[in-house]
Amino acid sequence: MGNQFSIFYLKMFTFILVVYIADFSVGNVLKYFYFKQNSGFQYRTTYAMQQTNADFLIFGSSRASHHYNPEIIENSLNLSCYNVGRDGSYIFYHTALLKVILNRYLPKIIILDLVKGEFRQERESYDRISNLLPYYDSYPEIHSIIELRNSYEKIKLCSKIYPYNSDILSIAIGNTEFNKGRWIDIKGFSPWYKTMDCPEKIDTSFFNTKIDNVKVSQYENFIKECKYKGILLYIVVSPYYLISDITDNSIKISKDLAGKYNIKHFDFSQDTTFKLKCSLFGDLTHLNIEGTRIFTQKVIEKIIKDNQLNMQYTKNKREGVISAISSLDGMH
Amino acid sequence: MSFVPIYILILGFTIVVDYISGIYISRNEGQKRKLYLIISLISNISVLAVFKYYNFLNNNLTSFLHGFAYTNPIPYLSILLPIGLSFHTFQAMSYSIEVYRGKQKPETHFGIFALYVMFYPQLVAGPIERPQNLLHQFYEKHYFNYSRVVEGLKLILWGFFKKLVIADRLAIYVNSVYNNVEHHNGTTLILATIFFSFQIYCDFSGYADIAIGTAKVMGFDLMTNFKRPIFAKSTGEHWKRWHISLSSWFKDYLYFPMGGSRVSASRLYYNLMVVFVISGLWHGANWTYIIWGSINGVYVVLAIMTRKHWIKFNTFIRIDKFPRLQLSYQIIITFALITFSRIFFRANSLSDALLVIEKIFTETGRIFIENPSVLIFCFLSILMLLFVELKQEFYKGVFSFFSNDNLIVRYISYASLVMIILIMGVFDGGQFIYFQF
Repeated sequence: MGNQFSIFYLKMFTFILVVYIADFSVGNVLKYFYFKQNSGFQYRTTYAMQQTNADFLIFGSSRASHHYNPEIIENSLNLSCYNVGRDGSYIFYHTALLKVILNRYLPKIIILDLVKGEFRQERESYDRISNLLPYYDSYPEIHSIIELRNSYEKIKLCSKIYPYNSDILSIAIGNTEFNKGRWIDIKGFSPWYKTMDCPEKIDTSFFNTKIDNVKVSQYENFIKECKYKGILLYIVVSPYYLISDITDNSIKISKDLAGKYNIKHFDFSQDTTFKLKCSLFGDLTHLNIEGTRIFTQKVIEKIIKDNQLNMQYTKNKREGVISAISSLDGMH
Repeated sequence: MSFVPIYILILGFTIVVDYISGIYISRNEGQKRKLYLIISLISNISVLAVFKYYNFLNNNLTSFLHGFAYTNPIPYLSILLPIGLSFHTFQAMSYSIEVYRGKQKPETHFGIFALYVMFYPQLVAGPIERPQNLLHQFYEKHYFNYSRVVEGLKLILWGFFKKLVIADRLAIYVNSVYNNVEHHNGTTLILATIFFSFQIYCDFSGYADIAIGTAKVMGFDLMTNFKRPIFAKSTGEHWKRWHISLSSWFKDYLYFPMGGSRVSASRLYYNLMVVFVISGLWHGANWTYIIWGSINGVYVVLAIMTRKHWIKFNTFIRIDKFPRLQLSYQIIITFALITFSRIFFRANSLSDALLVIEKIFTETGRIFIENPSVLIFCFLSILMLLFVELKQEFYKGVFSFFSNDNLIVRYISYASLVMIILIMGVFDGGQFIYFQF
């Protein structure tokens, strides 16, 4: 029996070694091709973390990536702009991205686009933290956010393959020229050219679900990071085709917290310019290119107006913003 | 899932009642012997009735009384369904029945009996063991056996592959469709239903493999619970390959005592329907499960009724001259029938199930593709499963990966499977489907 034990341990050790080598090799190959991508969501996250130096950044989910046109912002405010919004991302992603970016440089203005139900309790938003896994090794500042996904996440990340779990196809496609044609990318902005058919009936029933305090805490962290680094932050709820009249708890919480830190909160969710206007929407939750044009312009106008008021009542701390505001003044 | 420590008392109650019943059954004869059996069975069924069926029955009573403009005064219970309740209850009942039948000596060691009821590898989702198979193993000395441990570990690895790579991957698509049936067309619903058939097979058999493999590593042999049911040639055969421990439980403790097949034709059909309806009810306190069970009962009854006609039909169309073709179409038809019944198993409600069926027959369209990679992974994982199971079913002697004589081939196979799990597995903590029963 002792002999059997020895053989077992030896073979088990050999097997673990084989798996370790295979995991290390395959994992590094996947890593190489992941960061070699030149189009798609994953590339844009990498670009946002490692390369962008834009003065004006837009954070948020697909609504951010479809609703804010950086070119309009650049032309209006004379500031470089990049849209770091990503489909299917939540506050965990936004906060992690912010931490990495702010460790590299300080943008002048940031918009954080929030969705209704942003802070509701749901498992999916934790699952989506998987978008950050490939960056775990490189950015210790986001470890605490990644580890929110699961209590065993740290152990799973011992595997070099695990960060690229379920991504093998997207990595392969992201390295092809074909993928560039699939996604139009204007400085992170994904224009939606389609116009939706007007629906006959929509279910607007909405029930405020339980709030996830972890998400609220991350949102507060986002605000604090911007505030303490002197970045001009705007919290925006972009338009919906039709939304229930019941006030979403998440929107209310975001407003209250923004007020606590004296951050401007713009709520366009019930804006009549967009409400029930099929021609401005690609689907029920995303503006099309025309809707985006109008909305981006509206946001710019609000920012300009807000900065004019700011100039009257507060001393500005950073030269970069003063010069930007001066140039905004020059436009009027 | 919630962790409620006090629920251990339910297991405790089952163990104490059946331990004592077993001893008293063996010490008595005639009516007293029967009485102790009845006490044991009623106690076990009562636990199931309270925790699993009380609210369902109360709900139906409310609906019934509502029809007569009465309100139901009986309160609902706010309780959780203890995990594995149906499994360990049936396992405990099996013990009492076997002692009564004289096929099993009563277990006098309380600890050993408790271990029989709550042997952890199979506590939550089977296989539902028989005392003759399991109890004696707790008395045997178990020594480290290299081959046995390796076989156990291989089974565990294969079980994790089926669960993480296939079942949980398919679940992503199935859930997004079945949780929004009103928004999907018939073509999508057919695909989702087929995916569900593979999902539930891999989920349940994956768990069974892990359970059996774990027990094997420790030196215990549990019964096989699945024998590649995808390749069943008839619905009757399907139930000899699927959840074998439950099918055999119903066969031995319900079907045979009712007379089995040694009765008139009409009585036989009745017996079969009763067994399948109760089997449906065992799965869940919902009309969808009862209908699912009934449909499968109808399949088996119709298969028996039309057996001779099928043989004549096959001869008429000459398909019996082409055994492989005949085999293929038998397998496909059986799979289609079983998959159809699973619409009721998966649907969130009876109305959803009926809507799915209506759309399948009336509404075609493009397949729903939210994320192409999900579909690609789904098809890839099914292909991998079919490749392996086809080989196990029809080409046993042909080249084997896991059991290859060459050490390098074996190691590469194991490592490759681990890599596939890491690359394609879904690690978001999806629960095993059968944990809810």
